[in-house]
Amino acid sequence: MWINMGPQHPMTHGLWNLRVKIDGETVIDVDPEMGFLHRGIEKISEDRHYNEVITLMDRCCYVAGLAWEHLYILSAEDALHVKPPQRAEYLRVLCDEFQRIGSHIMWYAAFVQDIGLMSPFLYGMRDRDLILDLFQSYTGARLTYEYLRVGGVRSDLPPGFTARAREVLDWLDARFGEYDQLCLGSDIFRKRCDNLGILKASDCVAHGVTGPMLRSAGMKRDLRKDRPYSVYRQLDFDVAVAEGADVTARYLVRMEEMRQSVRILRQVLDWLDQNPGPVLAENLPRWLGAPYAPIGREGYLLKRNYPKGVGFSSVEEPHGEAQAYVVNEGGEHPYRVKFRSPVFANISAARQYLVGYHVADIPPIMGSVDVCVGEVDR
Amino acid sequence: MSTVTLFSVSYDLSTVIARGVASVFPQPIHGWILSSDVVLGFAILFFAIILLAASMINTIMLIWWERKLLGRFMDRRGAMHVGYAGLLQNFADGFKLFRKFTVRPREADSAGFYFGPTAYMATSLIIFGVLPISTGWNGGTLPLTLLLALVIFSFAPLFIFVSAWSSNNKYSLMGGMRSAAQMIAYEVPILLAVVAVVIVAGSFDLTTIVYEQQNYWFWGPLVVALIVFVAGMLAEMERIPFDLPEAEAELVEGWNTEYGGMLFAFFMLADYLRGLVGSFLVVLLFLGGWTLPTWVPSSLTSFPLAGIVIFMVKTYLVFGLFVWVRASLPRVRTDQLLRVGWNRMIPLSLLAIFLAAVLVTVKCLPLFGCVPSPGV
Repeated sequence: MWINMGPQHPMTHGLWNLRVKIDGETVIDVDPEMGFLHRGIEKISEDRHYNEVITLMDRCCYVAGLAWEHLYILSAEDALHVKPPQRAEYLRVLCDEFQRIGSHIMWYAAFVQDIGLMSPFLYGMRDRDLILDLFQSYTGARLTYEYLRVGGVRSDLPPGFTARAREVLDWLDARFGEYDQLCLGSDIFRKRCDNLGILKASDCVAHGVTGPMLRSAGMKRDLRKDRPYSVYRQLDFDVAVAEGADVTARYLVRMEEMRQSVRILRQVLDWLDQNPGPVLAENLPRWLGAPYAPIGREGYLLKRNYPKGVGFSSVEEPHGEAQAYVVNEGGEHPYRVKFRSPVFANISAARQYLVGYHVADIPPIMGSVDVCVGEVDR
Repeated sequence: MSTVTLFSVSYDLSTVIARGVASVFPQPIHGWILSSDVVLGFAILFFAIILLAASMINTIMLIWWERKLLGRFMDRRGAMHVGYAGLLQNFADGFKLFRKFTVRPREADSAGFYFGPTAYMATSLIIFGVLPISTGWNGGTLPLTLLLALVIFSFAPLFIFVSAWSSNNKYSLMGGMRSAAQMIAYEVPILLAVVAVVIVAGSFDLTTIVYEQQNYWFWGPLVVALIVFVAGMLAEMERIPFDLPEAEAELVEGWNTEYGGMLFAFFMLADYLRGLVGSFLVVLLFLGGWTLPTWVPSSLTSFPLAGIVIFMVKTYLVFGLFVWVRASLPRVRTDQLLRVGWNRMIPLSLLAIFLAAVLVTVKCLPLFGCVPSPGV
């Protein structure tokens, strides 16, 4: 019997369809269907100024908007030969890591809801709100930030931000233990999640599965270490790895990543306290985008003389390895923008880690994948 | 004092109304209205209406209690806006559901689709007719009240399965099958746990069981039976961690996926009615019903309707325990649930029966600091 789990289904956490073939309560085949949320972001980007594309990046992933902004910005700067000031780099890492914690807490909340734990869902949302408050205080928005810019970031931190951020970090550090108590401390949780949805490291590599799923299979791969971008080389942190390749291992990896993010953030906040400076590169071409659209001769002259280039970047996004490719053919818009979504690959391998388990196991397994449909369909 | 019962109150009410109505009519009708059969019939009707109103209001307050408790467990406040502290929120919700249009899928089997929720609701309500909430609360004394209550209680899987099957929806069908399997599996340990109580109390009559607990409540000596009974009741009520028939994450809403409006409200209300019945039974069988321990000074418990107040406080506390469980445990899987049911709960309940038999034969009940009652 084929069942459509989606496009509107509590399990999907977004707009996609998992077709499941069941025999009794056992899954014998699955067929993920994606594309319900396709908005043509890559195509729209070709008609936008470089800075206007950033708005679209927030819509790519609604829980990790800043990480996707960073991804695009790195690639665009590569293509446009722009170098941001050091303080901007640290501010971007600040965004990235706060966003990683926010995304993982959001994942935690949705995941525990999938296995029927009700209270931690609200604990997670409560704690994530603190991070959103911080975002609001320096980007002005809680969901669609549009904070990063080609050549830096939009604005510096407000006064007193680092102290507030440290308070939030202390609070979060204390909460992670509670999360663990509610999940790992529960026998029912262990019974449901141990040895569930196993995807071995070799299968991960074969299907392009990255991020916490790959690290939960015991493979120590993290782009922040393996191909350091921004200022990650200067920061001290460990890569979270777990053995087991099952749902519990993915849980452990994400929890450890949050702790490591807190560690990174403490270093970043210290650096930001001691090193004031500009946050946006000087002498940027005005035609880079809104709100300074080129009017008149000067802008076009600058644009025409601007060197062409090709930009590539890969970023350890909360869900996995995201990649961006930006081609600058000399126009005021990017000639082509292409993204690689980690979740797309992670979902595509669904047959590998779902077949053979029970129908009731689908929500925890898919929950442990951490699906974000916005970036799958773009 | 002790002669005032719920039934005598409704009989008096019926008599007064019959006199008033009869005074309007001339002789032959006047005499017929005042005849004992008619007055008795209306007395039974009033009795049923009072029971219905009491159980419905309590059910709705139970939902309020759960929402407020869950809110506190989850670091929020629960319903706050309609009425003081959200007391009227559930009435508002119920009224909203009442006004909604009931949609029936075209391919659904009409008869079963409507029969299922109605019968589920009706059987859940009937149980309140046999449960004594306090002295003089229930209509008459039956020797087998407990058995009757449990029999009516166990009708539910049939109606759930009928409504699930006739919904003609894959999720509903799976939920219905899970529900039937689960309820039947947990029916057995519940009955066995009850047998342990019956052995010690020596009666199937709930009133007698409560009176047997005047010296000591049964939860102490029969703690194994209590554990089995509470766990089984959680499964029977389909609450977390045993709510997999309506496991939201995979089955959308389980067997009531296709139901909306008033029919959904029937399911919802019946679920909480069963929750109320479950809490009632725990209080009656293990927590001394409407009595308090003998060391409580009787001056504290001599206010009017003391029995009902004590009973309801206990009931709400027991239900609070169920809510606490719901707030802190994840959901188990079907096979795990059934394995626990058949492989763990039944041996445990047999152990409880064995312990109860030992307690009764060895007469070691004074070990728990109490005097054996003359009935044992």
